[in-house]
Amino acid sequence: MSSYGSRLPAAARGILSPCRIPIRESSIAPLVSTFQQVRGLKTNSRAKGKGKDKPVKQDRRGQKDFIQRNLKDMQQFALCDAMRYLRAAEVGHDPSRVKYELHVRLRSKKDGPVIRNLIRFPNAVQTEARICVICPPGSKHAKDSLAAGAVLVGEQEVFDAVKEGKIEFDRCLAHPDSLPALNKAALGRILGPRGLMPSVKTGTVVEDVGARVDMLRGGTVYRERDAVIRLPIGQLAFSPEQLRDNMRTTMDQIKKDAAALNHQVIKEIYEVVLSSTNGPGFSLNGEFRTETSPETSALTGL
Amino acid sequence: MVNIFKRMRNLRTVLNFRLGSGAAILPSVANATKEYPAVTRLHLTYARKIYGGHQGARHFWRRCLPRLKYHNPGVPMTVRQTDEQDGPAALTIYFAQRASNAATALAADKKVTDSHAPAPESGEQAAVVNVKDLTYAEIWSRVQAATGAQGVSPTAEETQELKKLEDMRVKSEEDRKRVLGFREAKKDQERMIAEARKEVERLKEM
Repeated sequence: MSSYGSRLPAAARGILSPCRIPIRESSIAPLVSTFQQVRGLKTNSRAKGKGKDKPVKQDRRGQKDFIQRNLKDMQQFALCDAMRYLRAAEVGHDPSRVKYELHVRLRSKKDGPVIRNLIRFPNAVQTEARICVICPPGSKHAKDSLAAGAVLVGEQEVFDAVKEGKIEFDRCLAHPDSLPALNKAALGRILGPRGLMPSVKTGTVVEDVGARVDMLRGGTVYRERDAVIRLPIGQLAFSPEQLRDNMRTTMDQIKKDAAALNHQVIKEIYEVVLSSTNGPGFSLNGEFRTETSPETSALTGL
Repeated sequence: MVNIFKRMRNLRTVLNFRLGSGAAILPSVANATKEYPAVTRLHLTYARKIYGGHQGARHFWRRCLPRLKYHNPGVPMTVRQTDEQDGPAALTIYFAQRASNAATALAADKKVTDSHAPAPESGEQAAVVNVKDLTYAEIWSRVQAATGAQGVSPTAEETQELKKLEDMRVKSEEDRKRVLGFREAKKDQERMIAEARKEVERLKEM
């Protein structure tokens, strides 16, 4: 059967042609796998009928913010319940190594400044950080940092040890006086990838080395990575109250940090997850305990 | 952070903490009977490698102890892994006041001394159960017999959720097969195209 267009004059046919039923497309379209069509359907608002004025979903790569999923889908726990699960998950592990960890998810843009600070908990999480201080040996700073609990102090001896591959410390500080010597030693290749190279930018080159060592020993350094701040929050033996106090301090400080950033940058706390060294992560709902939670004394100790 | 749906799926396994082998409530001071006195502590010692009959003990730790700890959060449980392959694989159960008769009988069955287990405090009595060459299920049944632990059975909701998880598991197996089919078809097609291209190249050269 010939189509109705064939009986029209050529000019009219030319005008009408876009309105004609596209024979080829309609005949082939159902055969093409639906897999390819999904994209077109989504962008073509007419195909859906409704949702004409809905904004077209932005491409994932073009997103400026980190994706925020609805937390209604997430099962959330009270602190004591989460602790009960975590203590069960950690049973039989070396209690001196196991720590509770906190993951704070922020509502944040992908670019812009990040939160980075140091915190002192009301109940110390003894991470037993071994600290190395690079400063002129025999100086007042060397004595101060040794008194504050640094394990390795000096200039040349530290460089030699590092070059031999003996890196027996977890943090490295430097005094501005030794900075030229440090740069001359060219340790960036060795220390850099481990994140141990002192630099002014990271705040590890300081005048008052002794006080800094003291602070590092008692405090925990944290920073935001991909909109999440992760930090150890307590030892397994902590009671729920101790953990709660530590968490409160952390939350307050993170809020302060967020407020201290540039005015145009808005960061808010969005989700708080409690985890442990070997355990799964439990999203917290902000409550302390529920009726079914065990006594807090049962969640304390090893 | 990992996407929420993945995390949720992962977290569903919290049911694993509540139900399964080892899910039982040990007698505490409040509900101790004359037959089964309260359990105050548990200690497990076994060697690092599995030969010499240490496998069951390790599996008992992995599969039963977390659940036991979940249902008895106040009971300290310690595990000691030794390097002595010929050494003991032993579970020490500490009872308040006196050990249950069943536990004493079990301990007397194959006597073993565990130097790594902490010494019982005053007012505590320990029963050392030899768990060498036993599977974890056997160890668990012995623990139940010795302590009179009350097993925890799933509630109606939990049964439903378990069923849902099982359905999901079955479905995911089907889906995995289906997706594998897609991927293989795609790979086949790519291979055929590559071969055809090669053929064309060959013909051109001729």
